[in-house]
Amino acid sequence: MKIKPRTFSDYATIGFPAGMLMVFFVIPFGIMIAVSFFQRVQGAFYEPAFVFDNYARFLTSFFGGILGFSIGLAALVAVVSVLLAFPFTYILTRMTRRTQVVWLVFLLSVLSLSEVLIGFGWSTLLSRTAGISNLLVALGVLDKPMSLSPSFGAVMTGMVYQTFPYTVLVLFPALSRLDPSLVEVARTLGSGPVRSFLNVVVPALRNSIVSTLIMVFVFALGCYLLPQLLGKPSHWTLSVLITDQAIYQSNMPFAAAMAVFLVLVSLSLVAISLLYGKKENAA
Amino acid sequence: MDDIKKGISRRSVLAGIAGGSAVAMAGIAGFPGIVRAQEKSLKIGAYGGYFKDSFDKHIFPEFTKATGISVESIAQPTGEAWLVQLEQAARAGQAPADVSMISQVSMLRGSAASIWAKLDPAKMPNIENVMPSFINKYDDGSVCGVGAVTWYITLVSNSDVITQAPSSWEELWKPDRAGQLGLLALVTNSFLLDVTAKTYFGGQEILDTEEGIMKVMDKLAELKDNVQLWYRDEAQFEQALKSGEIPMGQYYHDVAGLAAADGYPVRSTFPKEGGINDSGSWAVSKASEKLDLAHVFIDFMSQPEIQTLLSRKVGTSPTVARAKTSLTDAEFASVSSEIEPIIPRYDMYQQRADWLSQKWTELIVS
Amino acid sequence: MSGLVFESIVKKFGEFTAVHETSLTIPQGKFVCLLGPSGCGKTTLLRMIAGLEAATAGRILLDGDDVTRIPTHKRDFGMVFQNLALFPHLTVGENIAYPLRIRGVSKSDCLAAVKRLLDLVQLPDMAGRPVSKLSGGQKQRVAIARALALEPKLFLLDEPLSALDAKLRESMQIELKQLQQKLGITTIVVTHDQREAMTMADLVVVMSQGKVHQVAPPVEIYRKPKDAFVADFIGSTNLISGRISGSGKLAVPGGTLLADDLPATGDVTLSVRPENIRVTAGSGDNTPGCLAGEVSYIRDLGASIEMYLSVAGQQITAITTPSDRPDIAAGDAVSVHFPKDACVVLGDA
Repeated sequence: MKIKPRTFSDYATIGFPAGMLMVFFVIPFGIMIAVSFFQRVQGAFYEPAFVFDNYARFLTSFFGGILGFSIGLAALVAVVSVLLAFPFTYILTRMTRRTQVVWLVFLLSVLSLSEVLIGFGWSTLLSRTAGISNLLVALGVLDKPMSLSPSFGAVMTGMVYQTFPYTVLVLFPALSRLDPSLVEVARTLGSGPVRSFLNVVVPALRNSIVSTLIMVFVFALGCYLLPQLLGKPSHWTLSVLITDQAIYQSNMPFAAAMAVFLVLVSLSLVAISLLYGKKENAA
Repeated sequence: MDDIKKGISRRSVLAGIAGGSAVAMAGIAGFPGIVRAQEKSLKIGAYGGYFKDSFDKHIFPEFTKATGISVESIAQPTGEAWLVQLEQAARAGQAPADVSMISQVSMLRGSAASIWAKLDPAKMPNIENVMPSFINKYDDGSVCGVGAVTWYITLVSNSDVITQAPSSWEELWKPDRAGQLGLLALVTNSFLLDVTAKTYFGGQEILDTEEGIMKVMDKLAELKDNVQLWYRDEAQFEQALKSGEIPMGQYYHDVAGLAAADGYPVRSTFPKEGGINDSGSWAVSKASEKLDLAHVFIDFMSQPEIQTLLSRKVGTSPTVARAKTSLTDAEFASVSSEIEPIIPRYDMYQQRADWLSQKWTELIVS
Repeated sequence: MSGLVFESIVKKFGEFTAVHETSLTIPQGKFVCLLGPSGCGKTTLLRMIAGLEAATAGRILLDGDDVTRIPTHKRDFGMVFQNLALFPHLTVGENIAYPLRIRGVSKSDCLAAVKRLLDLVQLPDMAGRPVSKLSGGQKQRVAIARALALEPKLFLLDEPLSALDAKLRESMQIELKQLQQKLGITTIVVTHDQREAMTMADLVVVMSQGKVHQVAPPVEIYRKPKDAFVADFIGSTNLISGRISGSGKLAVPGGTLLADDLPATGDVTLSVRPENIRVTAGSGDNTPGCLAGEVSYIRDLGASIEMYLSVAGQQITAITTPSDRPDIAAGDAVSVHFPKDACVVLGDA
């Protein structure tokens, strides 16, 4: 039997989360959408209006290219992160409780590092004068130290470093719930450890993998400091340009238009991941 | 971005102060009758870190001593975010700060939106000392800003890697500088269009038209291969410059001097075409109810002795003629130069803001 | 020699010894049940056979070959897990064909094998079903078919029927036994259910606390339990302690009992199954093999009648059928007869 809420207090319980959602998401996003249609006044600020200029300016091949690069970069970061984190997490879930706790605490502390620290850390590690290439020279791998940053590889390294702990934490529950007898039965049926990982563990968790990919992708899409600190201008993402427009050009309407677009891309991907999750539950 | 700038970056800290020494002024001993004694307090917006500390330590106490007005400094965001806040505050009629230090492009932008209070020169006798180029005016000629501090962006190099000191901005275009340069990433803070125009096109007049600007940009495109780092964050370049990772680029003269004084192999050169002279101005929000006290503060800051103090303690270049200061040759050289400076075409940056930022982004991103 | 041989196998998990030194031979083609309460080491023993646990000491031989160090995936034994562990992302047919497919068996051969195996487990035409759409019993059969796909030398099952309801479990027990007889495959089943073991096994291995107590056919396990644990764990029994008082005679509280295979001297314990004890009305003559007692309580279950008796202060249970029911009631004095051949002398546990 379903009981319908009747009194004010019945509704009050959802009032708090609903209020928080309003205050911290709906209202700011609404304002951003409104501003994205405002009229930019060059050399000054902006005026309330309803114009599509900001979207029109965005819809050029130049910004299209940057959007494409941003999405491609975020996707690549998500794929590399999951490729690294999945086997890592699988091995981690098979370790003793104590080892798991030590690793998870370590990963959480990496996650607590700001983008700034990660960016500076890696730009030093990848530098010619103080970086790891000196170690490679000492080991005889390289002839002379070289600068590895800024470069696309440096951006990838920094971003994967940032998303890796997040990816592990997202995958951890699904992998620890995985029935260990699935792997054992695969072994009794003739699969070696690597093969059972690839054709039992991975496919059994394919829905978790897809939703993790999407979450890491959205996370990486919002990254705007690391591409600046570790990349050349051609590696700057849309988030960098949004920041430039908002902070340095005072062009709020244009920044808002780009941000709305980016949020829509993120939201549609989150929606896809939710649909996937539903299917998994139904199965 | 904010978090980088705060604390680490000395220059944006300066720009931050420029953006908003929020000065809540109240009752001044030297000006009895203007305000009552219990209102003698002053809010000054400033960035955390080196500059706020320097101002708190060396400048504001002097002001309080001279006028009886106490100072409370407030942190303010970097870039143009402060301007946006002031603009919104002006609409709401409530000022987050009375006096703010504002960059030149922001001054123009604020003027276009009329968010600055008009200032009365008669109430600020000391602004006679300030060089005319550092006085900001509305189109109708009324004063809306007074030069607070100025600084230079010069050609810097690591003396271990580049043994021969460069003498011209042309050095940036030389093929053997490939992968060796660190330049500021934004059109509005690098002022490289002005540098290129002065160095290769005989002056900044070519920047009057879009065709001219495109020619300058084409020239600028030639040095792209030399650039290793387009930086927004100064600490990142400073670190690379000190270590020799990126041995040349444009940087702030005073900060480079501090690094050299600390023993790093860093040198700052005023090229023969001149260093880039950028500045911040004091401006008062229209929403402020303490315009009279703001006048007192700006007047105080315009005194040659205070400008001398700023040069010595904060490292900025004076807004008054050198002759009026008591700076020694060495002290002056550490903050400025006799070579005629490149003054950025702020009008261009304001009037063509969107077009410039678009073309600039296309230039360096592609 | 043919069959599976454990040579002084030991398994320790850290300080804890899961299986104490065990030597055991399981002949080729037999259906063997490892029986014991939970935590007795029977599953560990099975997992060592499969290679899922490494033996701490000792060797495991199959048909004379040492398999102790061979990794699981090269042993080619079929195993059914307690939770069945069907691959959720594969269909019934794909699950069954998995061991064939990873060995590169052609698609058509796989299909033929799947059809043959599904027929074997009586699930024809189910190959295309997703496993999530199967009932518990169907999943059971699929797991069995998959384990048999390789035609393994050994068929291992870990509590395979525990997830099924009682009725289905009984019919699956018979089916499994018939399947094993048809295929003639050496089969080892772990179970804690003695009825299951009695139903299916040719040979029962009774274990507790990491030790093997007795290895024997079910009827022998029941009739000739080797020690008190086996006697008590398999069915119910009366344990009576006494002292040897002469050749074939044992002095117990309340009188003397007779038994075969008694040692010459010392204290021993007898196991007497309740259904072998005969009760008559009236206190008897107190001859050897008969003790005087009193009825405490009678429980009439219809098909059988349980009599709870007090004999010289000791609780004795006897069971009889309605047709043999003596005319007694609670509080009556009775004679309790312990036939000589029903008194089994137990060894030390």
